[in-house]
Amino acid sequence: MDWLRTLLSRCKAFLIRNKLDQELEEEFRSHLEFATEENRKRGMPEDDARRAAMRAFGGMTQIQERYRLRRGLPLLDTIAQDVRFAARQIRRAPGFAAVAIITLALGIGANTAVFTLTHALLLRTLPVRDPGELVRLAIDVSTTETDGRNAPLNLPIIEAIEKRSRSFHGIFAWCVYDFPFKDGTVNSGIHGAIVSGNAFESLGVRPAAGRLLTPADDQPGGGPDGLAAVISHRIWVERYHADPSVIGRHITVTDHGATIVGVAPAGFEGVIVAEHPDIYLPIEFQAVLYGRPTKHDGGRLWLETFARLNPSVSRAQAAAEMNTLFPSILDATVPPALRHLPVIEKARFEVKPARTGWSKLRAQYTEPLLLLQIMVGAVLLICCANLSGLFLARASARQQEFAIREALGAGRLRLMAQLFVECLMLALPGALLGVWLAWMAGPWILHMLGNAEAEQAISMRPNFAVLSVTVACAVLCALLFGMAPAWTASHTSVDSALRNSHPRASTGGSGLRNFFVPFQVALSLTLVVVASLLGTTIARLLTEDSGYRTDNVVFILTDFLRVPEKGEALVALYHRMAARMEEFPGVDEASVAAQPPLMGGRWTDDFVAAENAQYARPAEAMENIIAAQYFSTLGISILSGRDLQNNDSDRNSCILSQAAARLYFPGAPALGKTLRNVIHHRDTGVATFHDYQIVGIAQDTKYDSLRESPPPIVYLPITSGEGWMTNAGATLFFIIHARSTAAANSAYLATLHEMAPSSPEIPPIEFSQSFRDSVARERLLSVMSGFFALLGLLLSCIGIYGLVAWNVERRTSEIGLRMALGATRMRVFALVMRQVIGLLAIGVLTGGIAAFFAARAIHGYLFEIRPGDPVIFALSALLLSFVGLLAATLPAHRAISIDPTQALKTE
Amino acid sequence: MGENKSDVLQGTLDLMVLKTLESMGPLHGYGIARRIEQVSDDTLSLNQGTIYPALLRLQQRGWIKSEWGTSENNRRAKYYSLSRLGKKQIDKETESWERVAATMARFLASSR
Repeated sequence: MDWLRTLLSRCKAFLIRNKLDQELEEEFRSHLEFATEENRKRGMPEDDARRAAMRAFGGMTQIQERYRLRRGLPLLDTIAQDVRFAARQIRRAPGFAAVAIITLALGIGANTAVFTLTHALLLRTLPVRDPGELVRLAIDVSTTETDGRNAPLNLPIIEAIEKRSRSFHGIFAWCVYDFPFKDGTVNSGIHGAIVSGNAFESLGVRPAAGRLLTPADDQPGGGPDGLAAVISHRIWVERYHADPSVIGRHITVTDHGATIVGVAPAGFEGVIVAEHPDIYLPIEFQAVLYGRPTKHDGGRLWLETFARLNPSVSRAQAAAEMNTLFPSILDATVPPALRHLPVIEKARFEVKPARTGWSKLRAQYTEPLLLLQIMVGAVLLICCANLSGLFLARASARQQEFAIREALGAGRLRLMAQLFVECLMLALPGALLGVWLAWMAGPWILHMLGNAEAEQAISMRPNFAVLSVTVACAVLCALLFGMAPAWTASHTSVDSALRNSHPRASTGGSGLRNFFVPFQVALSLTLVVVASLLGTTIARLLTEDSGYRTDNVVFILTDFLRVPEKGEALVALYHRMAARMEEFPGVDEASVAAQPPLMGGRWTDDFVAAENAQYARPAEAMENIIAAQYFSTLGISILSGRDLQNNDSDRNSCILSQAAARLYFPGAPALGKTLRNVIHHRDTGVATFHDYQIVGIAQDTKYDSLRESPPPIVYLPITSGEGWMTNAGATLFFIIHARSTAAANSAYLATLHEMAPSSPEIPPIEFSQSFRDSVARERLLSVMSGFFALLGLLLSCIGIYGLVAWNVERRTSEIGLRMALGATRMRVFALVMRQVIGLLAIGVLTGGIAAFFAARAIHGYLFEIRPGDPVIFALSALLLSFVGLLAATLPAHRAISIDPTQALKTE
Repeated sequence: MGENKSDVLQGTLDLMVLKTLESMGPLHGYGIARRIEQVSDDTLSLNQGTIYPALLRLQQRGWIKSEWGTSENNRRAKYYSLSRLGKKQIDKETESWERVAATMARFLASSR
């Protein structure tokens, strides 16, 4: 308790320290008077009495100091003093302060911006109970080309897991959805999710009002409140002004009446990162929407599934258990027609931690974000090196001041602490400005993700975690750039600094300064090389010939689960609708495909030439299921043979891409031959097959990504009745080429209302947009790295300029003397530049080596450019040298305009 | 300063101050310092000023309290007196000091 009482007393004393100082002085004075009086009474003369009293008291100042140290909070006192002093110093050199603050704002701002995105996408822990227990259950369908790709589950699989596995509890499913939404006069779309009845219970979140969904709501035909809906806190506040009477309100979601039963808590945005549902409905709503039981989803994998690990079950144990159960779960749940597709055969079950939720964006962006994080780190280092240099220059200009303070008794640590406080006072406003810059740049960065939903859902507003990282950044910077000057300052020799009345003559820290420039140059060169490689990559990707026409082409997903036509009638409906669309003005061609190009989807199948089927092994090719006009819609020419026709006669026809023709019929014409689709049943060892007549050869195109060279593609007609077609056939894509996107869309809408009125309208995707977005990752990387490289370049220039300017300033009298002795301006210029050239050379050399390794590390992102591309390296080095020399000429020019008489007079 | 004066041992000053206040009642800083010098027969080399950090320390712990007052010759001075906590503390401090002293005495006796 003693320490607590002491601390309280100290705090109190700190607050009233001025009054206490006066009291102490008075107390000492009365002490001396008592003593003097006693001495006088003993017969000493007045002067002696006073002197004796003071002698007996001891060193007044020391005691006062000891007293003060014990009394208040001396540390705070010191800091307050340092802050006041630093503020004076900063006021005295506002230009310097502005440069420092802006430099830091750029460095810290870039870091904050990247970290905000990283945090929002990868690191934010879900606001739920025990998030560490959460796992995501999914099917790993990655192949050698598509690493880390995974698929969600469906209800039959989830039920099978619940029944057989002992690792999990609270398994729940989640699927984001956009609904048409009506409430009174409000009629709009709403972003929502359908979730298992136990989802909220399992997550352990509490309603902000009313109640959340329960398993009782998730029943066929609805629960006690009919179709129950939970709304997000956001729309509760925005649309209903946080009115509690919203509970029990009737709304209409996709033409179905629902009742609002509760409001989700503030800050809860579900478990899918970068999606923010505003309405939550039970999974059984799916049955209402499609008019058939939810469980009969025909093997479609559509439910993101999460669970909690049972106590004392580790994730590895759960994964091991699931891997042994998985094949039998597949047997029990996957329709026989799909069970033996290669993609299902190769699939594995995965149990991944879901503390931070899940997002499909992660597979795409985790590595690029880390890469960007490293690059902004480098930018920050350049900033610090820059400021170190600037500070060193100031420190050497202030050497006399330091010397005087040291002579007056300031300890070295005290000097260093003071400088550190000064740095911090520049770093913190810099950080503040940086946070603001990051905030402003936020929407622009999000836009580059090429994902409209993420753009809306991800908040770039700096939150607590981001701010603390930023502040930590600022403190680290202050330490980094304050260290060098503090070090030299504390090693100033009092004696020599004081004797040397001319501060310019001192050379303290010049060795360190010489280190900073090559360091900056090396880092900048690395950034420039990386940025150039990535920039070249995106340029090559965007100008790459994909084989497709992208302008004025739209893809529209269909959702025909509710149309009465099934099977062949459904296929006929597609044909009729495509033909109907072509009748509209402005529409050139319309067709149907299972897989729109370059959207990342990938269907593969095994084929073999029927004539070689005896001895050749089946080989894998990309597959697409299409209707007539597909090739003309997308501007792909048919090199020989003919297009497919929209009738039954082409049920067993197919078209091959050139690459596929070469693959299956090397050295021989493929047209007219027979291609055999081989389906292996790995469990029984039986292979069944389906033969197709090759009626045409199409030009090569890319398939799912711009990076690949055109793969072999086999095009089958939608009339072929492919197994998975009949099941998922309700969700194909219309592909329309029209005079304009608007024309295509209105033709589609009119046709839809006319021929499939029960189907929801789905917004079209512009091919030109999805084409650009297919390289969104590379675009983000190249734009951001380009920006960072520019920043690094600019900062390095300031660094070089600062160094040379300081050198010229320092050597003014020397240069004056040289000129007086007959040195020409050229020679003086060369003298100044020689040093810069040396430093640049060291920087470019080390930077080149660093860039070499950096380039190799990012080679996975590059496209049609080798990481060691000599042209890029040479150009980058040239650019850096040129810019560096340019920055040096300005102050060097000042050196040659030095007036010798003036310079010597000041000495 | 005389050869035979010894420095005040760390921590003993606190007890001396407490004891002084116990026997003399409220007293100002100079009075306490003089009293300690007198009791020790001027064998302690005490800078009178060092009494003040000690007084502060005791005050911070809540063992003594202070109050401005007037001396008999009408001079303003700060008077220190024992608090209730301080009175209790004297016994504890005395006991612990005696233990140390006794231990020291035994050491000195055995090594003689």
